[in-house]
Amino acid sequence: MNAVQWYLQRITGGLLIVLLAAHFWVEHFLTEPLRRGELTYQALLPRIANPWWQAVDIAFLLVALYHGLNGVRNILLDYDRISRRAARAATTVLILAGFLWAWWGIEAFRNLR
Amino acid sequence: MAAWRLQRLTGLLLLVYLFLHVRTVHQLSQGPAAFNEAMAFFRHPVFKLLEIGLLGVVILHALNGVRITLIDLGIGHRRQARLFWILSVGAGGLLFLAGAIPMFLFSVLKL
Amino acid sequence: MNPYLFRILRSPSRTDIFQVSLEERMTVLDALFSIRQERDPTLAFRCSCRVGMCGTCAMSVNGTARLACRTRVVTLKSKTVTVAPLPNLPVIRDLVVSLDPFFEQWKRVLPALHPREPAAKDLARIPADSPYARQTPRKRDCITCGACFSACGVRGTNRGYLGPAAINKAFLRLLDPRDGAATQRLDVLNDEYSGLWRCHTQFNCTEVCPKGIDLTDTITRLKRAMLAPGRWLAR
Repeated sequence: MNAVQWYLQRITGGLLIVLLAAHFWVEHFLTEPLRRGELTYQALLPRIANPWWQAVDIAFLLVALYHGLNGVRNILLDYDRISRRAARAATTVLILAGFLWAWWGIEAFRNLR
Repeated sequence: MAAWRLQRLTGLLLLVYLFLHVRTVHQLSQGPAAFNEAMAFFRHPVFKLLEIGLLGVVILHALNGVRITLIDLGIGHRRQARLFWILSVGAGGLLFLAGAIPMFLFSVLKL
Repeated sequence: MNPYLFRILRSPSRTDIFQVSLEERMTVLDALFSIRQERDPTLAFRCSCRVGMCGTCAMSVNGTARLACRTRVVTLKSKTVTVAPLPNLPVIRDLVVSLDPFFEQWKRVLPALHPREPAAKDLARIPADSPYARQTPRKRDCITCGACFSACGVRGTNRGYLGPAAINKAFLRLLDPRDGAATQRLDVLNDEYSGLWRCHTQFNCTEVCPKGIDLTDTITRLKRAMLAPGRWLAR
């Protein structure tokens, strides 16, 4: 299990590079108004209302949350002044925070339609 | 040692950014008027400078992450310190400038 | 003879400064002996073999953990030499530290050979193309000096961390075809609070090892192998 987590941190890291590049390209270079820096509701809506793009964005968010919150967990594990019980509690909090955060992100898209 | 510290610092900064970003996207759901008003705030030059900073943070974290993964695969141990400076800082610096200079010229100086 | 200024950090509140004349090939240990014999007989430090074999004289020299007997002053490229006890270990007096924390972790990995066949009468044969013969030649020279252990940045905040030397020892035993205690060692290594996963490839250990052991390499090899530990357990 620990080996899998170590491995996943690297895999999600690599995935994030790819997803970020795609996200950046789509947000700032895909259409003409975006290339001009016109980040208006009207310019973004066509792409953002598209469920396929929403899926990509949500996937990006979930991968980023795993990578980031697992990173925070690793930082906590490096401090022995945090007892094992406290570390276990912190892991639970981080997992909960992850789910809430992901839900919060997905909500942003749902409220659009 | 510096590489490790930097990786943690940039990681935490990016998490903070992620929070702010999701919050911003939420404002989309408030309708076009509220969204466009929020976006106007982001056009301020100070904010654009922060965006350039964000670019630097992302590049550092990503390239150093690549370096760490290479090391975990057993590649580059003897040159690991140099790898940090060449890859993360050097190549990263170049990428950063490639992004930051146009951003600075167009968005901050409004050329 | 060249003059050197030795700053000895004997305690957090006491730094003694000695001017010492040294010949070009002399070491930090030579300087310490000179100070002790001619200036201050109360200066406490540990040493034994004087030739880099025993690991007893490890201490911090100009900020880096090194063997005093193997550090020629001329290689320090400075006329001022700051000597301090190894960091992150309890100080007994002056430059003498307790290696108890080091050996506590060392013992956790069952450093002795636990033979799979204790009653075997024949000599064990280790073929030249076996993993042990191929992967361990440059890993066996550990003299338990404690330099890597004290230099490790992770140990700075996590006193329970195994440390590079213990992990390296576990690696040697795991690959050893005569050994039968793989399961217990893997459990210790796999502990997420104190095991090898706490290593963050800072490379401090590899940089200071006086025997040139690539400790980070050992640890990353082990991490990769932990994805499929069966091969050790199946032996």
